[in-house]
Amino acid sequence: MSSTNGLICFTNCLLPTEDGGLVEKDLWIDERRGVILDAQRTFYLRKERPARVINMDGNIVSPGFMDIQINGAYGFDFSVYEGDDEAYREGLKLVSSKIVETGVTSLLPTIITQEKSLYPKLLHLLRPYSASKSANLLGWHAEGPFIQLAKRGAHAPQFLVPATERFKSFEQVYGAENLVEKEDWLMAGDGATEDVVGVRVITAAPEVDGVMAAVEEVVKRGIIFSIGHSIATTDIATAAVQNGARLITHLFNAMPQLHHRDPSIIGLLGASPHMSPPNSPARTTFPAPPLSRATSTSSLTKRLRELQEGPQATSEAFDDVQTPPQTPILAAQDSVLHLQKGKVADLSFERPFYELIVDGIHSHPNSVRLAYTSYPEGCILITDAMKILDPNLKDGIHEWRDGKRFVKSGDKLYLEGTDTLAGSVVTLDKCVRNFSRFTGCSLGEAIKCATYNPAKCFGLENKKGTLRPGADADLVVLDRRGNVLSTWVKGQEAWARGD
Amino acid sequence: MQTYQRLRTNPRQALRPRPPYGSSPIPTYKHLISLVQEGKLSFKNVVTFNMDEYVGLPRDHTESYHTFMFREFFSHIDTRLAGELLNGNAKNLIEECNQYEARIKAFGGIELFLGGIGEDGHIAFNEPGSSLASRTRIKTLAYDTILANARFFNDDIAAVPRMALTVGVATVLDSREVVVVVTGQRKALALSKAIEEGVNHLWTLSALQMHPWALIVVDEDATAELHVKTVKYFKSIERVQDEVEAMHAALTAQGIEDDHVGSME
Repeated sequence: MSSTNGLICFTNCLLPTEDGGLVEKDLWIDERRGVILDAQRTFYLRKERPARVINMDGNIVSPGFMDIQINGAYGFDFSVYEGDDEAYREGLKLVSSKIVETGVTSLLPTIITQEKSLYPKLLHLLRPYSASKSANLLGWHAEGPFIQLAKRGAHAPQFLVPATERFKSFEQVYGAENLVEKEDWLMAGDGATEDVVGVRVITAAPEVDGVMAAVEEVVKRGIIFSIGHSIATTDIATAAVQNGARLITHLFNAMPQLHHRDPSIIGLLGASPHMSPPNSPARTTFPAPPLSRATSTSSLTKRLRELQEGPQATSEAFDDVQTPPQTPILAAQDSVLHLQKGKVADLSFERPFYELIVDGIHSHPNSVRLAYTSYPEGCILITDAMKILDPNLKDGIHEWRDGKRFVKSGDKLYLEGTDTLAGSVVTLDKCVRNFSRFTGCSLGEAIKCATYNPAKCFGLENKKGTLRPGADADLVVLDRRGNVLSTWVKGQEAWARGD
Repeated sequence: MQTYQRLRTNPRQALRPRPPYGSSPIPTYKHLISLVQEGKLSFKNVVTFNMDEYVGLPRDHTESYHTFMFREFFSHIDTRLAGELLNGNAKNLIEECNQYEARIKAFGGIELFLGGIGEDGHIAFNEPGSSLASRTRIKTLAYDTILANARFFNDDIAAVPRMALTVGVATVLDSREVVVVVTGQRKALALSKAIEEGVNHLWTLSALQMHPWALIVVDEDATAELHVKTVKYFKSIERVQDEVEAMHAALTAQGIEDDHVGSME
């Protein structure tokens, strides 16, 4: 089946573009190097054309899906380490070799709040990893332990901690060697090469003691700070973004509901472009706005203190704390207004990316559409799937961890004996199809939310989630209804649907 | 070759309305591509030469002829060679042009020249005023051409290349056969100037009047500036040709051989 000159041309297919379009175009890849080719350049400079041409019958050849929040699958839980490195690595291999059937070619294993001493070990085991015909494991997503008790969801309350020593607390928990500068982290792995890609994400609540002060350092180390499991008010959430937070963990879940006077974390999707970060040049040109640096800092400190002392934490994910009935005041009220219809002022406040679980349960379809229409470029589809994710698994009760058990009912997953949602069991390809139906967007636009957007969030858009020349030839072939027909990793077919 | 026959005997099936400038050959390419895909035609033993390229435009720029040819034609057919194109980024442009002529000669000359024209009657980039004896060379683009091309460069006149390398009028005339596709009302004046008036360096297409085997394929709109009698005359040529061919076929069927019947030469 392989090509005599190592080049493959996919023809008669639709290719997703980075703006969410689908265009009829050929795709050339180099199966030996595992990369996407600049077809025109290959033709004129190498004077070659692919020896193998595959007719795709009008189907879609998309970049492989990226799942940036997934807790486990096929019976393996990324958060469970039983003292055996080899067994853990085997579990990782199992997931990465099987998950390709859902169109996923890159995933970010997510570990939920752990007993503190386990982190350094787990994060060390979760170095970037890729094996032939298996999805790439990009690194790790540490969800907790610096999260809000009141919004802990299924996280174990006894393991939640504050960051009293700010970034130092982060280092103490996660292990300093896991939080080194990105380049050092990437190069520290066994057999690490120049082009190894890796991602680290920390989900934390900025209102938890010491967290806000650590955000900047986390970001400086090349780690993505994601706001989640939090009751941050609008001003705190905004400050976190201004400090470098780039992502919101499973939007709508484990955060305050949208209150029109204090829209909190969800409200970041509607953040005004006129909100400039403190000390930015833009700010100095405006007359001091009501939320000037001095007042905002003191009010922010006050608000942080209130939240840290105040909330009567309850046990339920759906319980809510009272949101204060104040109307927040916009900064830069006197900034210049433009006169071009349809254009949005291009100022410095950049809204964070946000994860959506599109299983139809964790977020109502209407909420999904609401979020998407307010900020389509930031939308990232995730599964947040638990270890029992397996497209072939039956409904019923399944073992989890620490003696707890799941109840799986369709795509719904509860902690046994409660109605607390405990992650999901939906596959990412189904999320893409759901998303297109929930929002009415095109399949190409839905694909973008599972490919280009997450890659962009991580700054990997030259290597993953794209069909740019030079990017890894990680592909998923979909029919026009969004069903996975085959999956390719590094130019090799890793999975194909049996007939 | 079979293509010749198809292009010559039934060109109208390839005609559809299209935008002006640089896009005229697309329907012809589409037709050729479908023939390749049906297995009725192969380019495995064909060498192609392109007639022009902008100077200083990167080869992979969306508006370069390299990009155009790859997107519209080369990527869909079965050429073994990459095709010969002028390199508008060559250090020594004059040398590049001379070598191009030499390469054409080395392959034994151009068998079939296929092209379109501009509104000012230019063939290849031989703008009005080009010498009819010209060979492959550097050419400054006419202001009209720059204006018309601006739409490909975000309507930024300054971004449109000012120079191109192009084969000359004499290079075109050296081809054994020339087929030019002229469509749309915007090209009507150029067509009238080229075929109803004398050979004129201000309408370089008119040089085809000197070519022994040239075919101009036009649609109804492109004839708008022609005299009625000119159009009628050319239509009658086709009709008479059809009649003669039919007669020839009938004679052949009866087993009567006559070398002269059916020939327009």
